[in-house]
Amino acid sequence: MDILTGFTSTLGSLAGGFGTALQPFNVLLLTIGCFLGLVIGVLPGLGGTSGVAILLPITVFIANTGPGGATSAVIFLAGIYWGALFGGVITSILFNIPGEPWSVVLLFDGFPLAKKLGKPALALTSSFFASFIGAFIATVLFTFFARALADVALAFGPAELFAVFIMSFATLIGLGSESPAKSVMMIGFGLLLAAVGFDTITGAPRLTFDRIEILSGIGFVPVTIGLFGMGEILASAEEQGIGFVERLSAKVGLKDIVETLGELRKRIWTVVITAVIGFWFGVLPGHGATAGSFLGYGLARQYSKNKANFGKGEITGIMAPQAAADASAVGSLVPMVALGVPGSPTSAVIMAGLFIWGLQPGPLLFIDHPDFVWGLTASIYLGHLITFTMCLLAVPLLAKIMHIPYAIITPFIVIISIIGSYSLNNSMFDVFITITFGFVGYWLRKMKYPLAPLVVAIVLGDSTERELRKALIASGGSPLIFVASPLAATLMILAIILLLLPVVRNVRERRARPATADHAA
Amino acid sequence: MILIAAVAMIDSRASALPDTTGKFPGGLGPGFYPFWSAALIAGAAVVVIYRWYLAADTGEGVFAKREAWTAPLKIALPMIIAVALIQWLGFYFVTGLYMGFFARFLGRYRWIWVVVIAVAFPALIYLSFEKGFRVSLPKSIFYQQGFPF
Repeated sequence: MDILTGFTSTLGSLAGGFGTALQPFNVLLLTIGCFLGLVIGVLPGLGGTSGVAILLPITVFIANTGPGGATSAVIFLAGIYWGALFGGVITSILFNIPGEPWSVVLLFDGFPLAKKLGKPALALTSSFFASFIGAFIATVLFTFFARALADVALAFGPAELFAVFIMSFATLIGLGSESPAKSVMMIGFGLLLAAVGFDTITGAPRLTFDRIEILSGIGFVPVTIGLFGMGEILASAEEQGIGFVERLSAKVGLKDIVETLGELRKRIWTVVITAVIGFWFGVLPGHGATAGSFLGYGLARQYSKNKANFGKGEITGIMAPQAAADASAVGSLVPMVALGVPGSPTSAVIMAGLFIWGLQPGPLLFIDHPDFVWGLTASIYLGHLITFTMCLLAVPLLAKIMHIPYAIITPFIVIISIIGSYSLNNSMFDVFITITFGFVGYWLRKMKYPLAPLVVAIVLGDSTERELRKALIASGGSPLIFVASPLAATLMILAIILLLLPVVRNVRERRARPATADHAA
Repeated sequence: MILIAAVAMIDSRASALPDTTGKFPGGLGPGFYPFWSAALIAGAAVVVIYRWYLAADTGEGVFAKREAWTAPLKIALPMIIAVALIQWLGFYFVTGLYMGFFARFLGRYRWIWVVVIAVAFPALIYLSFEKGFRVSLPKSIFYQQGFPF
């Protein structure tokens, strides 16, 4: 009876939230926010975080003079966040350049499907549909369980987070058809690159060889842009020849949407499960969203029937991480609203906005400002619907980008890659890193080394080390902390099982081979 | 890869092992993580080399064909020159020259279109980044003399 009362009460509050969010002024702000977010997401070097930060001053004006006050302001900022999430996908799929950390994983299959298999429209619509469904599931979870989940998330300490990061690495070992040893080598290389610069715990410089530029470390954005964006340009120059012009179908109609829906129907459970996983990882404060998208990809691959197609344009490889990433973004608002702890860099900026508008994020927000909380919740549903519609309408235009002549698109990708890596820290050193890793990426491709484990390790390496050392500091150096709580022990056992799976599979295959050969003989 | 691993292991060897003296909080020094990451590379490299040795074939190497390095070099050289010129000519001049070069020598566009491309792209980037989103990109040596970029 209590559950039913709680359910109907939440539905009533949500209806009130829709009443607020659907006011013409708020719908207008949400639409403008979503559009600006899309533009910001597509532009290299600008992501959701910088977009929200750039437009934060405008929200002070909206909060003070607009008819909706702080609710209108947060609806506008949230719109930018959702728009940027969708916009980052476009650059990943069409240019092989990641927008945000969690859209890095889309490079593995999004670009190959768009370019190598010649289906940019399918790649884009698959990702937009997965985003929308992932966000919808996450918003439903946000609506009904935000406060309860925020409390559970607090049980995740450094030991549990360390186990989660290990799980993310484990799912990617043996990616594609390459040997697990090559994946392990790439993970080691990524971890090593992530370790370059100041040690976050002791402040000691590591692997800097007395070079000042390297003290702040090697960022994953310049490396990823180099490995994928530049590396692909060099590889295609050799494989397809300089001056190669794409001959792709840019006609996008109802047929493409029907095809995407058909593909989605086949993978609906994968999308739903990865969305729930992504949402949960988003709820975890810190780097949850990135780990969620990588884990979503890794798990989808582990349990896919088309395992060999991953990395070559497999639709599950687009839908699963995209659903997880968007769900993570929604999840990252849970600790912000319910606890006053930001779940992601973007939600940290939105939280700064809450303080500026005179609100105190945390449990009391639900009691003191229910209009604000439920207005924001309703705007998450509406914001995703608006962005999804905008993106779907823009797909024919976006797909035509693939038809731009080689002599224009190739230097243009180089230029936006330079902007993307430079604008991160206003540093030419980052541009040199991008160029260098362009060559490294080309060489690794030629030598058939998987790039995904390298990227996962460089993105998550820093956080993995930090959680490992924080856990050991908390335990006074005792490694038993990793199995001390039932949650940590379960996660660690799962991580070890996932790590050992490729080895066991490899041994089984080797044993099966002579037996099959004997049988054949 | 083995060379990278070896250099990293030597550089971080001082605090590679867990510390029992209480010098570092949690018992791990700054060298622990890079040292064992490098060790992971070295260990995996040994396995890769062993497997390559077992399956060694006499086939053609991946870089044996001339096109494997000449074609990427044709793309890479202008890119390297452009990046090197940014510190003097700034981002916008270099973008114009770089886009114009590709349009003329790869696309075989007429000069009028080359000029349009070389002007339109930097202008569009300037308006979006510098004016729209206040993102400053590298300026030329003429910037100090009052030139906008």
